Amino acid sequence: MRVARFLGGRLIGMIIVLLIITFITYAIFYVLPSNPAQLSCGRPCTPDRLAQAKTFMGYDHPWWQQFLQYTRGIFFGRTFGAGPAAIDCSAPCFGYSFRLSTPVTQLILDRIPVTFSIAIGAAILWLVLGVSTGVISALRRGTAIDRLLMSISMAGVSAPAYLVGLLGILLFGFTLNMVPIGGYVPLTESPVDWLWHLILPWCVLAFINAAIYTRLTRGQMLEVMTEDYIRTARAKGLSETRTIGRHALRNVLIPVATVFGLDLGGLLGGAVITEKVFSMQGLGALLLDAVGNLDLPVIVGVTLFSAFVIILANFVVDVSYGVLDPRARTGTR
Amino acid sequence: MASVIATEPALEPSSGARQVARRLSADRGAVFGLVVVLVFVLAAVFAPLITAISGYGPYEYDLAALDDTGAPRGFGGGISREHWFGVEPLTGRDLFAVVIYGARTSLLVGVAATVVSVVLGVLIGIVAGYFGGWADRVLSRATDVVFGFPGLIFMIAVGAIIPPWFPKSLLIIVVIGFFGWPAIARVVRGQTLVLKQRNYVVASLAAGASATHLLFRQILPNLAATIIVFATISIPGKIGAEAALSFLGVGVPPPTPAWGRSIGEAINWVQTDPMFLFFPGAALFLVTLAFNLAGDGLRDALDPRSEGAGR
Amino acid sequence: MNRLRGMGVVLAAAALMLTGCNANPANPGSSSQSAPPTKGGTLTILTSQTEISFDPAKSQSLAITSLGLVNRRLTTWEVAPNQPAQVVPDLATDTGTESDGGKTWTYTLKDNLKYADGTPITTTDIKYGLERSFAPELSGGLGYHKSLLAGADSYKGPYSGDQLASIQTPDQKTIVFKLNTPYGDWPWIASMPAFSPVPKAKDNPNTYGQKPEASGPYQVQSYTQGVSLNLSRNPSWDPATDSVRTAGPDQINFKLSQDTTVAAQSLIADSGEAKNSFGAQFVPAAQLAQAQSNPNVKDRLATSGPGALSYLAFNTQRGALKDVKVRRALEYAADRQAYLVAAGGTIAGEPATTLITPGIPGREPYDLYPAEPSGDPAKAKEMLAAAGHANDLNLTLVVANDSSTLAQAQALQQGFAKAGVKITLKPLDANTVTASVTGNDTNYDLYLGSWQPDFPSPNANIQPLFDSRQIGGGNYNISRYSNPEVDALIKKATGTVDPAESAKLWATADKMIMQDAPVIPLTYTKNSFLRGSNVRNFFIGAFPAYPNYLKVTLAQ
Repeated sequence: MRVARFLGGRLIGMIIVLLIITFITYAIFYVLPSNPAQLSCGRPCTPDRLAQAKTFMGYDHPWWQQFLQYTRGIFFGRTFGAGPAAIDCSAPCFGYSFRLSTPVTQLILDRIPVTFSIAIGAAILWLVLGVSTGVISALRRGTAIDRLLMSISMAGVSAPAYLVGLLGILLFGFTLNMVPIGGYVPLTESPVDWLWHLILPWCVLAFINAAIYTRLTRGQMLEVMTEDYIRTARAKGLSETRTIGRHALRNVLIPVATVFGLDLGGLLGGAVITEKVFSMQGLGALLLDAVGNLDLPVIVGVTLFSAFVIILANFVVDVSYGVLDPRARTGTR
Repeated sequence: MASVIATEPALEPSSGARQVARRLSADRGAVFGLVVVLVFVLAAVFAPLITAISGYGPYEYDLAALDDTGAPRGFGGGISREHWFGVEPLTGRDLFAVVIYGARTSLLVGVAATVVSVVLGVLIGIVAGYFGGWADRVLSRATDVVFGFPGLIFMIAVGAIIPPWFPKSLLIIVVIGFFGWPAIARVVRGQTLVLKQRNYVVASLAAGASATHLLFRQILPNLAATIIVFATISIPGKIGAEAALSFLGVGVPPPTPAWGRSIGEAINWVQTDPMFLFFPGAALFLVTLAFNLAGDGLRDALDPRSEGAGR
Repeated sequence: MNRLRGMGVVLAAAALMLTGCNANPANPGSSSQSAPPTKGGTLTILTSQTEISFDPAKSQSLAITSLGLVNRRLTTWEVAPNQPAQVVPDLATDTGTESDGGKTWTYTLKDNLKYADGTPITTTDIKYGLERSFAPELSGGLGYHKSLLAGADSYKGPYSGDQLASIQTPDQKTIVFKLNTPYGDWPWIASMPAFSPVPKAKDNPNTYGQKPEASGPYQVQSYTQGVSLNLSRNPSWDPATDSVRTAGPDQINFKLSQDTTVAAQSLIADSGEAKNSFGAQFVPAAQLAQAQSNPNVKDRLATSGPGALSYLAFNTQRGALKDVKVRRALEYAADRQAYLVAAGGTIAGEPATTLITPGIPGREPYDLYPAEPSGDPAKAKEMLAAAGHANDLNLTLVVANDSSTLAQAQALQQGFAKAGVKITLKPLDANTVTASVTGNDTNYDLYLGSWQPDFPSPNANIQPLFDSRQIGGGNYNISRYSNPEVDALIKKATGTVDPAESAKLWATADKMIMQDAPVIPLTYTKNSFLRGSNVRNFFIGAFPAYPNYLKVTLAQ
């Protein structure tokens, strides 16, 4: 019963948060010194044609009414224009892009495979890499290996992702001709090409992010190793592998999982810079393109979607944190 | 914009200043970091003096240093006795001066944005932690809004709205700072929850002390160490955020030098003029690395238990 | 893209074209290799565009680029190396027969014209295609016909069941246009995208742009928004009916959303697919420098003659810039040398002094504000002091947020600083810049832009930028320049049919406008494009300063 109430409360909270984000996005872009209808008026533009375009696109109402129409569309769908040329956008309607002649929901669905391919592949890679090097570093504390791994990870933490990415493209793409210089091939089209195009972005993201996990894991590991139950386990004569595998690692992974959930959520919402650097047409690229073209429905739709993913990840982390670590149940978060 | 550190080890403020200094000076990485930070700070502060000695300001065009295509003449992007780091392609501006003045932008935005998020984060965190209940829930939701909202989009949109007389660097500071507060608010809230159970706080409360007194006289001083360490660790993230904005072309407007913008431009030239990328790239990397090393060292020195614990 | 492309409303140009006037030293960049057209292969076009719509009603595409591969119109352009552009028949048998003093234009279709599915192309379809361009759902295209066709002011397209009476189709092969004013240049207007046939039965306004009924040599095979667009051959296209399209490659693939720098780098590297590719965007300065330093790459660079005018516009309705003395003083402060270097050096253009660009018939060179290429800041300073603005000018320059435009803006900023004028840059997204300078709010002092007329006439250079009716409301008189005398002269020149006489009037207008100094002409830009080593017949004619897609072939 308490669990149900907790979950219900969080869900309502999520919806409120998403509405606030939609509202802010709408308000900000409405006050921009621009006029989306003017951009699609054609050349030469006359006042009559401008007014017609505005009415058709639904920009002839005050912005708060537009916001309400938009929100309504998400739950009940909406129709643009009238007669045989009318555009029907069924629920959940996140708006319609007149520039791309496509409903925003469709645009988002089209881009999800790209963004998710980048994010999930990179996340698995950096988690494995980060945790294993962290554990090795902690176990070999003070040795040359430890110092080497720590130095590399310090460099990884300090290097900007776009710089590493661009240098990677130059080295492996142009100079060595080993991997494609960008682009994306759907998994369904050719799994090999899919993998081939994703290797470099995965490695770059993994290098940057693994560094954080290496350091986090090592720190946690060192702390846990001094705890009583590890000493007890050792004293009981359990093998080192078992001690570490069964007892230490489990406790180390709780904070790692927390950070991981949030990082993955952020990446699933669209990685603007990574997608730009690797010319991948995911959600981040869609958003950047929409901002450049003042395509308001797309901006709001994508923002809403990424916010949803991030907040969902946050929520999952909170809930699983409670499950993984009973001590955390008393306090929130 | 800043990565979240979920579990920040509690810091004990017991260590004396001398002890801290001793531990810090024994940490070679931290010493290196502090020295590099100091060098960059000095370079930023005395930038006009330094460029007076080197001979070229960051805004002076030297078209004679370029060939007919706009590329720098000579070795290493035009490295010479006049131009120590060579010149920028297409403008002939002295790259040394650009890098030195770029430190001003990076450090100013990095430090000031950190101050903004620390002030916001501490205030919000301490209030949420102390009062709990609805304050806590509002904090949670507000954090979600900030996490969920794309800061980059916000920056582009607001940058287009503000009037031209409003300094863009101030806007960047406010935006980066604003998107950075939730991380510190979480840590402060957690610490406040712990501190508020302490005997002396409970005792003061029983003796009728006001909430303001408790918050600012008893709890806040005990958070000082945590806040200092956290601030130091989050500076490189803020510097990186500024550079990323500049890289995407929404940072401080040109001609004010910014490393991120130089890097963004230099990437196009890397096959003809790699040194154009090297100098600003190295400066950004070095200063980030230095702050990270110094931050780590400072944390270890303030809290020996966490020695070697990563970020 | 701050490259605005203007389509002038021209009376005289067609006549000029027919007489073959060649006062202009055409200096077209032809990077290659006129080879006899060969068939076959897959051509790849790298573009930074994120979407391409083949809907003729929504398109602003030039007659010789993407849309021209799929959709034929009544007339089209013949663009060849070392020759001025000409308007030639496409679906029609001629470029139009006028009657009623230029108010009525009649066209007859060629025989054997078919869509990809084999059904015949009729004038009903052309009429329908034009009608749908009036629908608000399909706004955004080139719409010059909309203000010229009689009784079209209140017409809102065919979807509400109405027809446009001023377009008549007496039979399936004939189409007649009734205009509200005599218009000698209608043949050029009939080459615009909206004059492509659209069969009513196949029209779904929401999706037509992704799968149009092809009349040209190619049809859309597949389209993935933001990623790619593939064209394959149209089996029904009959080369005997088409004089301008070579249709060399079997397949043409557009790769969308390509970073301009990365695209240029891969064309320079010229490996794999890049060998059969060309870039649709100007080569950025860095790659231009790299290409010029390597003889193997230099051969594959196509550079246009001096074409578009790049200029700095003063907002003549704002603050100190209202004062013509201030504007004249600022004319001397422009550092064209630094500006040109920032654009990529001598390959990127030539210093400009006139509004009518080289290559346009009737241009008379002159220089009202003579100075060194780097400007005369001392003189500017002196004149500013005389005008009462010795050191107090602080102007805002709105500028598109891309590195090449910003580099050029900074070059100007640096030059103006020498004359004691402070310029603050305000970088914004290109579309936001366009929307704000062509809109009705005036929040800028200066604007940096370039103007490429869509066909070779001084009218197209001058009217859109300086006619006072073109201020605001989405139009391009960005200086907000209003001079009744100039307006009258523009009107007179537009209505003058004799080419030599109208050219003279335009040249007078050119000077008259520059007396008032509403803009600083900076350079006549040259555009450079790169191709892969297997690409043949890749050239830029005297006009427009873009490669002709219709003639490109691949080496076999």
